[in-house]
Amino acid sequence: MSDEAKAKIIGYCLRKGALAAGVADLDAIDLVAPPGHRPRDILPNVRSVIALGVGGQTQGAWSVPSKAFAYFGSTEGRAYSVAYGCAFYIENAFGARSVYCPPDMDPEGGARIPLQSLKLHAELAGIGARSLAGDILLHPEFGYMYYASVFTELWLPPDRPLESNPCPAPSCVEMHRKTGQTPCMRFCPVQCLSGEIDEHGQQAEMRYDMAKCAEMTQQYEAVPGMLAEALAAPDAGAREEALFDPDNSLLWYKMSVGSGGLLAQCFECMRVCPIATRAPLADPIRRAQAAGKKG
Amino acid sequence: MARGLRFSQVGVTEAMIAAYADIVWKMSNNVQVRRGDPVRKLEFGRIEAERADLGMSDAQIAQAIGLTRDQVLVIRLLTEVRRFRRRSYQRLYELGRGHRFNPQRYLPHEARGGYTAQALALREALRFDPDAVGRFIAGGFWADDTLTRWLAMHAAGTPARAAVKDRHTELGYEELRARSESFAAGLRALGLGRGDVVSVQLPNGAEFLIAYLAIARLGAVMSTIHMPYRSAELKTLLAHAHARALICLGTAKDFAPAAAALALKPQLPALEHVIALGAPVDGAASYAALLEAGGELSEHPAPSPADPFLLLYTSGTSDSPKAVPHTYQTLLGNARLSAGEHRITGGDIVLSAAPYSHLFGLYSFHLATSVGATNLVLPAFTPADCAQAIASGRPTVLFVAPAHLAAMLKAGLLDALDLSSVRLVIASGSACPQELARAVAARLPNGCFSQLWGMTETQAGLYTRPGDPPETAALSAGRPSPGAEVRIVDAEGTPLGSGAEGELQVRGSLLFPCYFDNPAANESAFTAEGWFRTGDLACWEAGGNVRITGRIKDVINRGGFKYNPRDIEDLLDAHPRVMQAAVVPVADAVLGERACCVIVPRGASAPTLEELCAYLLERGVARNKLPERLEIVAEMPLTPTRKIIKGMLRERLTPRS
Repeated sequence: MSDEAKAKIIGYCLRKGALAAGVADLDAIDLVAPPGHRPRDILPNVRSVIALGVGGQTQGAWSVPSKAFAYFGSTEGRAYSVAYGCAFYIENAFGARSVYCPPDMDPEGGARIPLQSLKLHAELAGIGARSLAGDILLHPEFGYMYYASVFTELWLPPDRPLESNPCPAPSCVEMHRKTGQTPCMRFCPVQCLSGEIDEHGQQAEMRYDMAKCAEMTQQYEAVPGMLAEALAAPDAGAREEALFDPDNSLLWYKMSVGSGGLLAQCFECMRVCPIATRAPLADPIRRAQAAGKKG
Repeated sequence: MARGLRFSQVGVTEAMIAAYADIVWKMSNNVQVRRGDPVRKLEFGRIEAERADLGMSDAQIAQAIGLTRDQVLVIRLLTEVRRFRRRSYQRLYELGRGHRFNPQRYLPHEARGGYTAQALALREALRFDPDAVGRFIAGGFWADDTLTRWLAMHAAGTPARAAVKDRHTELGYEELRARSESFAAGLRALGLGRGDVVSVQLPNGAEFLIAYLAIARLGAVMSTIHMPYRSAELKTLLAHAHARALICLGTAKDFAPAAAALALKPQLPALEHVIALGAPVDGAASYAALLEAGGELSEHPAPSPADPFLLLYTSGTSDSPKAVPHTYQTLLGNARLSAGEHRITGGDIVLSAAPYSHLFGLYSFHLATSVGATNLVLPAFTPADCAQAIASGRPTVLFVAPAHLAAMLKAGLLDALDLSSVRLVIASGSACPQELARAVAARLPNGCFSQLWGMTETQAGLYTRPGDPPETAALSAGRPSPGAEVRIVDAEGTPLGSGAEGELQVRGSLLFPCYFDNPAANESAFTAEGWFRTGDLACWEAGGNVRITGRIKDVINRGGFKYNPRDIEDLLDAHPRVMQAAVVPVADAVLGERACCVIVPRGASAPTLEELCAYLLERGVARNKLPERLEIVAEMPLTPTRKIIKGMLRERLTPRS
């Protein structure tokens, strides 16, 4: 029954647009995640954690000349909607309480503390492995994906992590041997990545200066910053400018009706990653071509 | 703070933040180090041992350093806020190929420069009626015209076609574009940029046009200064315009403009650069050197059609000069649409006898540049030089003032000239006597005569068209240009019908928005409905044509009998012993005003007042319009388009108390 339920749930996720889905080992999560950030902290009787991933970007999104424009290819919303539907599906089909795990921040922990690590769930569910690019998960077939999780009181047999890590790709190993940097390290605009590769071509050490990355790409401080500037403005004109110059207006837009967009990630590390963008099934065109070959 | 906690409730002080910020920053997940691949390999012992390197939660940090979790939370958040630079996300725009959403390259904010306070003040004067703006754009009267765009278009389309020709120089459109781009780079290297006013006092020539186009390319604003002006006028105009630079001759015949401007610099705080054309002048930048040095301008933004690009002075040099700002939309839209009305094409050769320092001269350049025609340059008008330029340059279109034509006619030059190349003569600058118009038209074997009425505030407001009956062009200034509305009103502002004389008022897409820095002039210049009071007297003629009959302030009020002396002046101009005539009012204790006739005699023997009155009576002039005083002068005070400055004559005739 558990295997059958798992197959149905995974099948549901794939039908709804997930490229990969699996079940993470709850005990393993508990051993890695710190207190307060474990599935049981959200759903006390949780017995299984389902992780799923959807395709990261289209080929077009990676190739547009305007970097900012590429952000609109973000597909995390699709992952969340699949997971949201999955929780409903499990309750409907199996009568077990389920909850979509929000990809949110810890409301008591501030801007950079995740409520739950979707990355950890996905890695333990075997649908991604940590890369040298700041631990962004990569999949050997699907490359770069967005992840979402579902917690359920239904017990499902857990999967195991991936047998091997696709990062670094052979070309990256070769480049690192010659230059000391992989493409993601080389092209990071703020040089927040560095690391070592061992003699077997495996990751030896990943170093990620998250502060440098976040300073450019996240800007949680921008909104209170502009309010502070407005309060300190010497006159009405300067106050209006502080609140509503084009960039700040953009922030207000993001705060109100906007989605994804300019304040997300810069993605340069992924744009130059041979796994993220050129894995066999990394984008819809490759997937269609692969399906055609099979057919 | 978090969950509504205040510092005092958490027990955090600035001293505590200072002491613990570094350690909290380091232990939070700001720098992550992972060795091997422990999660994937389920190496839980290694994960635990190296947990701190992957970043610790607030609770874990609190336990490690002896603070409460809330205190760590507060310190961490404030440290992030204080250490992270704002607006660094703008660097995202520079990724990819450095583009945003369009082909323009992204320019970081700090590289975008800005407008000076003076430049912003000038832009404040661009107050257009919002409803009218909508109509002008919807009607196509305002479009994407800029000099830079026009020049680039012709440089690409007809690069070798002569854009500028004079006796010594011929520049094709591409060469003109390249030189103006180079000079613009030179100006930019001096620190000049968008919105800055650059005054120009140069004679007609390629150098003037290169400077004009370069100033336009920078997004700056050209303010012209007429060549006869000297230090007093320079000071007034440069000060009022807040000009940051002056481009002028190193030396002229009887004047050293660059040295004069340098001497004025201490009194002109905005004036930073004097750029001298010709021989080097100590303290002045060299025009030639700036042109030669060139530089890169590709990153400099192109001007926009709504930008101001000209600041022209109408009544020059008083304490409250009238400065007229124009945008590309007002003037170039007018020129683009008028080129078709005048039937001017890229194949034309356009000669302006008017100086480029005057808008009539610039209008000829705007028209020619709108269609990619050739500008034949006459450095300064003399009857002989103009005749020589026509003979050698074979222009197809002439822009002249009636006074230019009169001078050439009276010197006998028009009869000797081969005018077969000329297919259009456009006369403007003052009302044209009918006889003169007919005389010129009769001498054009392949062309026609056209009258144009315009002001610095409007450029080309009315004109006759090629194809109009010759008498229409002789008697009237024609019909409104595209985008112009005109009306003729009485003293109460009531519109008048055909034949009645009243004030000509104008509005439309060609009209300047308001005078710069002259509230008093603005107060009186416009009606509540946005009509511009031109001060010209006019009446409607058949076919919707307008005849200009004089100036309101030139009307003579002789004991309550008011009359316009224009007809009398036309008759006097035709007198065989009169070269030039004007009739102006002089104060009179009994009648208020009486008419004074001022003439420049032709030949040694000047006519007497009695002879002139007899001459006028013979031609049907009423006795109460006869002049009652005669003044003989060697020359008239003239505007750059050789219009008599009657105000100056009146001043000279007024007894000093």
